[in-house]
Amino acid sequence: MHGVFFVCALVSILAVVLICVFLFANGVPAMQKIGLDNFLLGTTWKPGNDLYGILPMILGSVYITAGAIVVGVPIGLLTAIFMAFYCPKRIYGFLKPCTELLAGIPSIVYGFFGMVIIVPLIRDIAAFFGRDISGSSILAASILLGIMILPTIIGVSEAALRAVPGSYYEGSVAMGATHERAVFSVVLPAAKSGVLASIVLGIGRAIGETMAVIMVAGNQPRVTGDMLKGIRTMTANIVTEMGYAADLHREALIATGVVLFVFILIINLSFSVLKRRKD
Amino acid sequence: MEDIRMRPISIAGKRQPVRLHGRVKSRVQRGLVYGAAALTFAVLLFLISYILVRGVPNLKPSLFSWTYSSENVSMVPAIITTVEMTLLALLLAVPFGLFTAIYLNEYAARGNKLVNIIRITTETLSGIPSIVYGLFGMLFFVTYLHWGYSMASGAMTLAIMILPLIMRTAEEALMSVPDSFREASFGLGAGRLRTVFRIVLPSAMPGILSGIILSIGRIVGETAALIFTAGTMAQIPSLLQSGRTLAIHMYVLSGEGLHMNEAYATAVVLLIVVLLMNALSALVAKRLTKK
Amino acid sequence: MKKLVSALLAGALLCGALAGCGSSTTQTPAANGAGNEATAMSGAITVISREDGSGTRGAFVELTGVEEKNAEGKKVDNTTADAEVVNKTDVVLTSVSGNEKAIGYVSLGALNNTVKAVKVDGTEATTDNVKSGAYTLARPFNIATKGTPTGLAADFLNFVLSKDGQAVVVDNKYIEVNDAAAAFVSDGSTGKISIGGSSSVSPVMEKLIEAYKALNPNAQIDLQTSDSTAGMTGAMDGTFDIGMASRELKDSESAELTGTAIALDGIAVIINPANTVDSLTTEQIKEIYVGNVTDWAELAA
Repeated sequence: MHGVFFVCALVSILAVVLICVFLFANGVPAMQKIGLDNFLLGTTWKPGNDLYGILPMILGSVYITAGAIVVGVPIGLLTAIFMAFYCPKRIYGFLKPCTELLAGIPSIVYGFFGMVIIVPLIRDIAAFFGRDISGSSILAASILLGIMILPTIIGVSEAALRAVPGSYYEGSVAMGATHERAVFSVVLPAAKSGVLASIVLGIGRAIGETMAVIMVAGNQPRVTGDMLKGIRTMTANIVTEMGYAADLHREALIATGVVLFVFILIINLSFSVLKRRKD
Repeated sequence: MEDIRMRPISIAGKRQPVRLHGRVKSRVQRGLVYGAAALTFAVLLFLISYILVRGVPNLKPSLFSWTYSSENVSMVPAIITTVEMTLLALLLAVPFGLFTAIYLNEYAARGNKLVNIIRITTETLSGIPSIVYGLFGMLFFVTYLHWGYSMASGAMTLAIMILPLIMRTAEEALMSVPDSFREASFGLGAGRLRTVFRIVLPSAMPGILSGIILSIGRIVGETAALIFTAGTMAQIPSLLQSGRTLAIHMYVLSGEGLHMNEAYATAVVLLIVVLLMNALSALVAKRLTKK
Repeated sequence: MKKLVSALLAGALLCGALAGCGSSTTQTPAANGAGNEATAMSGAITVISREDGSGTRGAFVELTGVEEKNAEGKKVDNTTADAEVVNKTDVVLTSVSGNEKAIGYVSLGALNNTVKAVKVDGTEATTDNVKSGAYTLARPFNIATKGTPTGLAADFLNFVLSKDGQAVVVDNKYIEVNDAAAAFVSDGSTGKISIGGSSSVSPVMEKLIEAYKALNPNAQIDLQTSDSTAGMTGAMDGTFDIGMASRELKDSESAELTGTAIALDGIAVIINPANTVDSLTTEQIKEIYVGNVTDWAELAA
């Protein structure tokens, strides 16, 4: 049986390796042809003119993901705490499937929701403050993605909070802590690993989301620091143009995927380093 | 799952001599928790009612004809394809993901360098956008293996896509099973395999299940990865035929702006399918845990 | 501090959700522009474009002159970098219907009453005007095969170009390429072919396949919906027997494939119904899409 488990682990790794090999084999030559500097730091993306600079898209992904984390993590984590320690048992049976349902709503539905509700709202509020914008913006994408990562954050964090032995909570309350203090100062730190995992998964979902982001982000390949302006993410870049791209353009898009991949690698590495240092 | 829940002990704060600062902080924290939960469920309620309001009035009997035509734009083939696709992908991914997690957590030596590397790689993989999986699937299964646009290509691609998610959540769940459980089992003379299947897996079931439910959500809602691998044929497919899941059905219907109402009706059915699948997996897990 | 920020954000989001609730019920687009019914349209233009390489965009930029040859004689698409890029027709429609100051373009067949099509150079966007040639923003729907089609593919192609096939085209608000075609008689070919490509062509192709199957029940035809370039690539590498494109074939494609126009389609330039503009010249459209004109007020002058 030991062997069976080992083989399974190997198969999983094989899948991993296969994708890595495929990605790098197709993406790296394009980076060499374009030049790593021009590719990563170029600010103009005009495949028609053979200009392949993806800095706008890198910044776009970073801004929008950061925005989604700012919106989604506090709300998601607090909701997970609610589900684990505050929710009356009667309504728990109803609320839990609801959060799971949130995970099953396809991205295009979220996209439509964002396009019909969030984007006009931002436009109207901006118009109230005298700014004439379309509403498709970094802010709109951040809020939408913040909502989309909620089920991931809630689900994984709640499981982690519940996995903390009950004695932690009881001990803390017995020593005079309030319910809140016991939860926030004792149970929450003990569930740190699971909470971090939920954030990493959330970042993964946010940075990898395509279909919904495309509908609300505006998708302009330009550098901007303005929250109310549109921007294009790396995923949007791949999905809008891959169908049509040929030759170097296509390779440049796969290379965009490689950059995305490296990004996630960096995020994960820094998280595990962080985790180890704290332990 | 329910028995480890802790009931709020609200009187604790009043009885114990707590510093004023602590009490204010507690109140703020409690307010935040309730506020966030209210917000989450308000958004959720709003989203679901948005879908229902736009979709339910458009649910017509003709949408549920057995075969699809451009007149009735029936979603029955898409519903069957969705269930088929989900089962296939889970069938492929769950055993591998779970067994890998078992290997990493129960068999491999703790602190093993290789294990750490595998862990980081799987975490990384969970962040690859689905479109990249789709392209990989197209180049490898569709073109290289000559499977064409088919259920097999789609299910394999999805299985690889959800593998890291299942592996990661299963591992987290296994890790959270206290070592005392294992020690007690060994102490009573059970072997490692028996301990894993009889003691560790049942206690880890809720966590594993939450991973499976998240995976179902990803499969059912997936579009980008399937368009390039399973195609968009509206039919009830066999393994090597092309089929469209509900999400793709919706994508295709809405794409040209011709069938928006039917697209929203599809979204309603999609929600119901997700609900049913979640309920089903909860039931299965309950059975497994009881045994 | 972090908690304060999150609380503020939470509050803002909740307000947003509630306000969204209110506004979604009153979907009259004119509601916000109440003060200026009589005055000319003004405000920054939201330019909405399809993605690079879409058949609709390809035809649009070519016909309006947004695409120009540069000094080296290479065609360059000059669509402004500030244009919002969306990858589906319905997103263009929804964006324009929800934004008073937006402009976009869609296939004439996809036009609906949530948006307003402008007259181009004084000509209304109707199928009749496309057919007569008066409306200049029109493009062919092409299908392409590798080599000469045989068997079922050939029979199906004959059907599409016959009187019966062209009638299906007209029924779906597209324009026939041949209004004097002969009636169709199937040679009864059997077998299986697959057709794939442009999502713009797909809806009408679906109708054509159904009409054909009614005449020749032994045929099995698969339809895959993706995009024009994928359709052409698929036809070249043999994935599809027939590829579909909502634009002219590129040189590299026509070198390998035989293209046939099966229908004509107009491209409607659309604006919000609340917009007071109702006619634009090709030059004005070009200036908007190139980014030289960025405010509706500039067009009034």
